[in-house]
Amino acid sequence: MSIFIESDTRVLVQGMTGKEGSFWTKHMIDLGTQVVAGVTPGKEGLEVEGRPVYHSVRRAAAEHEIDAAMLFVPPRFTKDAVFEALDSGIQKIVTIADGIPLHEMVQIRAAARSNGAMVVGGNTSGVISPGTAMMGMFPYWIERVYTPGRIGVMTRSGSLTNEVTAMVVRAGFGVSSLIGIGGDPVPGTRFAEMLPLYEQDRETDAVVIIGELGGTMEEEVAEAMRDGRFTKPVVAFLGGRTAPKGKRMGHAGAIVTGGKGTVEGKIKALTEAGALVAERPRFVGELLQELLK
Amino acid sequence: MKLFEYQAKEVFRSHGIPVPPSVLVETVPEVQKVLGEIGLPCVLKSQVLRGGRGKAGLIPFVRTEEQAVTEAQRLLGSEQVPMLLVESAVDIDREIYLSVTVDPVAATALIIASAAGGVEIETLAQTDPEKIVQEPVDITIGLMPYQVNDLVYRLGLNGDVAKQTKKVITNLYAIFEAYDAELVEINPLFVSKQAEVIAGDGKLIIDENSMHRQKGYERTRAYYDSDMEFEAAQEGIPYLQFDGDISLMCAGAGLTTTVYDLVNYEGGSVANYLEFGGPNYRKAVRAMELCLQNESKVILMVTFGTIARADVMAEGIVDAINRLHPDRPIVTCIRGTNEEEAVRILRAAGLEPLFDTEEAVRKAVAIAKGAC
Repeated sequence: MSIFIESDTRVLVQGMTGKEGSFWTKHMIDLGTQVVAGVTPGKEGLEVEGRPVYHSVRRAAAEHEIDAAMLFVPPRFTKDAVFEALDSGIQKIVTIADGIPLHEMVQIRAAARSNGAMVVGGNTSGVISPGTAMMGMFPYWIERVYTPGRIGVMTRSGSLTNEVTAMVVRAGFGVSSLIGIGGDPVPGTRFAEMLPLYEQDRETDAVVIIGELGGTMEEEVAEAMRDGRFTKPVVAFLGGRTAPKGKRMGHAGAIVTGGKGTVEGKIKALTEAGALVAERPRFVGELLQELLK
Repeated sequence: MKLFEYQAKEVFRSHGIPVPPSVLVETVPEVQKVLGEIGLPCVLKSQVLRGGRGKAGLIPFVRTEEQAVTEAQRLLGSEQVPMLLVESAVDIDREIYLSVTVDPVAATALIIASAAGGVEIETLAQTDPEKIVQEPVDITIGLMPYQVNDLVYRLGLNGDVAKQTKKVITNLYAIFEAYDAELVEINPLFVSKQAEVIAGDGKLIIDENSMHRQKGYERTRAYYDSDMEFEAAQEGIPYLQFDGDISLMCAGAGLTTTVYDLVNYEGGSVANYLEFGGPNYRKAVRAMELCLQNESKVILMVTFGTIARADVMAEGIVDAINRLHPDRPIVTCIRGTNEEEAVRILRAAGLEPLFDTEEAVRKAVAIAKGAC
């Protein structure tokens, strides 16, 4: 068992024939993912890695059972691609696009919520349950970083995830399911919304959160822990503790959240809720050892 | 992209939000020239992007021409103030706060307003949260008149002022939509003694990811704190200037920020923050050129890329060394896709690649301190 994707999750790849789409489709299949079909307008009749390509999601959905859509679509076309997937009733969507316009991302998240669907991303590497399946762009050299195990990982970052997860592995652990929430100000799905899945997952003993300054996602995790909605151990690493203030934050953002959003505020909220906060990536592994010994 | 106040007010004016008469100037003689048109008393508003201008003495209220000249000399004489907006003073009765932004949790637009404007809204949130009213707006439907109507009465406004404020709110939301705004804010929105509603200040931040459809805003030097930040921005390279002695040339926003933290933990100081990952991972030469323009003592490179291939970055680094002949040591910790090839390339060029981020940081700090 894993979260979000399982070994039998049937995945449609939108943007399958592009350079990125075809490259990562092969990789997803190699890592065990059930890729059933792809979509590229105008390319129906082609195949990628033996999987048929269709002109549209509706046409693919007429021929295949589809559980999830993986989007390799440029940021300006992501809104259209997400709505197209939702239109065919697809409930799990991952978009890696970096640069989705803010207002469109708000519309995407709103539409996903009203459809009872989950959109992960954008600006993320995607989702991986090592040894089971992968949707996104995770490297081939997975043993060193994405080795199977019992630690859940949620992250707002890319390269930093490689860094921190390598420390988890170095400490003798592996990853159950890793969800790349993404680095945009409005992610499709937020940290706290993934927690119920980790809570239920019998293959996850603890969750590592890789966060950073800005927004309120880490505070929402603390809230879920305080309310007893999430009961497994949490170790958090937060980038930007010593970052200079005031380079980008707008006043209105600060008010929505009642003064939350600084790294100090996040550390305080998480610590009070019972999470362990690691000052360095290396300490993430060490804290897990203390917690789970 | 954060616009200057004068640009935000141009947008306000063209969308039917009243602003005081004003003229943008760059020299002291121009200030004298426009005083006749604007009248006295007036306000000299420094056009800089940072907040807290009032507290920093960057918005002096002037009553006489001599005062205006003295203050204009002081402001324009400093290097930080490239332009002044000379603006008519308003006879203020009261001040209102008004903004439209995005609520990332509810996935709506959000109007925030307060009848107690003029102070910073986060201060108000701490001291008088009950004085703040909020109205979520479904971004696919847009702002409905009933919402605007209810909002002004929640603010305690009445009569003609309520009517004028409704128009301002409606127009502000239209700007939020039309300009793909991250934030559009009026603080303060004046109600004058003559019962006119006028925007005293203007802030408009356009979403960076929507700039392709927001034409007409060219990024000039004035938008950046330093020449170096401006130069890096021309290349699309994320860059921040500091005054320490370690140049960071790293990949990935999260990892670079973490290396920045680690340098500080280890007692070092950062000269510049630079990311050459993502779309820039083939720009090692340009990135190193920027680092070398700093008076740093060492360049620290840390990467751990998936798509940004380590071997390509290593080739770029060696190419940069051959072309630029750096006069300071380079510490590398290049990992990720095709790492083995990267190590071979770096070793062949005489570098000693490291594999642990903390070890690389400690080495760079030691070099900067002259310890090795």
